[in-house]
Amino acid sequence: MSALITFDRVTLGYGRRVVLSDLSFEIPEGDFLGLVGPNGAGKTTILRAILGSLAPLAGGITRADGLRFGYVPQRDHVDYNFPLKVLDVVLMGRYDRVGLARRPSASDRDRARAALEQVGIAPLADESLSALSGGQRQRALIARALVGEPNILVLDEPTNGMDLVSTTQILALVRELHERDGLTVLMVSHALNEVANYVRRIALVLEGAFRIGDVNEIMTEETLSEMYGIPVEVSSFQEHRMVFARRTASASVVKDA
Amino acid sequence: MLDSVLIFREALYGALVIAVACSTLGVYVVLRRIVFVGAALAELSSAGLALGLWLAGMGAAATLTTHPVALSVLVTLTGALFFGLSGARSRIPADATIGVVYAVAAALGILLIAKAKTGEAHDIFLQGNILGITHSDTMVLLAVAIPVLLVHVVFFKEFLFVSFDRETARTLGYNVVFWNLLLYLTIGLVIAFAMQFAGVMLVFDFLVLPAVTGLLLSRSMLGMFAWSVASGLLAALIGFSLSVPFDLPSGPAIIAVSGAIVLVAWLLRRR
Repeated sequence: MSALITFDRVTLGYGRRVVLSDLSFEIPEGDFLGLVGPNGAGKTTILRAILGSLAPLAGGITRADGLRFGYVPQRDHVDYNFPLKVLDVVLMGRYDRVGLARRPSASDRDRARAALEQVGIAPLADESLSALSGGQRQRALIARALVGEPNILVLDEPTNGMDLVSTTQILALVRELHERDGLTVLMVSHALNEVANYVRRIALVLEGAFRIGDVNEIMTEETLSEMYGIPVEVSSFQEHRMVFARRTASASVVKDA
Repeated sequence: MLDSVLIFREALYGALVIAVACSTLGVYVVLRRIVFVGAALAELSSAGLALGLWLAGMGAAATLTTHPVALSVLVTLTGALFFGLSGARSRIPADATIGVVYAVAAALGILLIAKAKTGEAHDIFLQGNILGITHSDTMVLLAVAIPVLLVHVVFFKEFLFVSFDRETARTLGYNVVFWNLLLYLTIGLVIAFAMQFAGVMLVFDFLVLPAVTGLLLSRSMLGMFAWSVASGLLAALIGFSLSVPFDLPSGPAIIAVSGAIVLVAWLLRRR
């Protein structure tokens, strides 16, 4: 599989402040990568560098020719005050293909309806975006990312603030898009336990440290304990893996923190 | 009643042009939650005009002060550039920056007018002088409004996308900074010219209230624009027509009607 994105000894930061340094990894075509870490660890910084909105302080980032992102922003970054129908929002994913100062065609509308079908909310095409539930809104934003026929689907915290049912459904949908349609997926999340059971590879970002590998390689007690700096336990239940922090005396946790 | 209104028909035409231009751009002002940018730009426009009059009185900067409007446009567009380029990462919250500009511009406008050798009372800037609009003023307003509205019709899709979801627009190759700047500059241009005749208060009203009516009554962007423009025109027409025979100040009369329309829209929405 050819690499869609390559990081070569990349240093990222803002101004003189370095957030992460010496990052080297690839996102090959067909990958399903979870970029995981707590808030403030640098996930968004890496994401912005991948998307091209943040230039590296050092090193090089190479993107495959004609690479096209299907970006799904965090749900609360979209303003639901705008009086927009679901179909209008999905059509935005084709705006750059439609061209400057031109209007979407009937064919663009057909593609938008097909994208809504793909994510399972075709009957909601003419509903107001603001009238949808959290899970439905997320599906609409995924449809907008898909309608532009991207090489890579990039989701930023797609399950943030969702209940258990919606979280499971959205993650299942993303995995289906990867497995059924062969789509390369990059999913950014702070929830290791959610992501680890769906993706094929994990990139873990923690306080300036970065580790990338297959799920089996990353989801080990040794690796996670080293990354988090506390004793960690990984349990399996019916092919699902869960990470727990081992109980320690509260004083030592405070001291270590 | 009609006869007395017809005497001021040129002023009415001017008010209608201002209503259409401001209530169209007001849709973005309201949806992007930058209503006080509109107020601050109107105050900057007022301060620019006052600066022109003060400099003219001092006999300075003759080229610019021959037409105080030119200085007003220059100051307003500089403000629009400043707000358009202001980053979200600034240490000072965006609304605080707007507040600083608003307060300083308002005070400067009053101080400069107080010391200007020529010019009118500051009330004119605040309340405007709609009845003073002449045929040539309306032509000037049209010369500004038509190109601005054409830009907004042609690039509707682009303005909508960067206003609704700038991050995604950026990933699709949109130059978000450029489109934001163009939006702010068009808003600044309309405000600068409308302020000369309508005053700060009425310009602010036309930028906010019709768009709020549109938001209350519509489920689509096109509908919001249509309701916004229609309610702006209606408020201008009714407010103006009532103000002349009843000897009321035109600006506040139009604002009062705008407020009543918003109330009706809100009641209709609740049904």
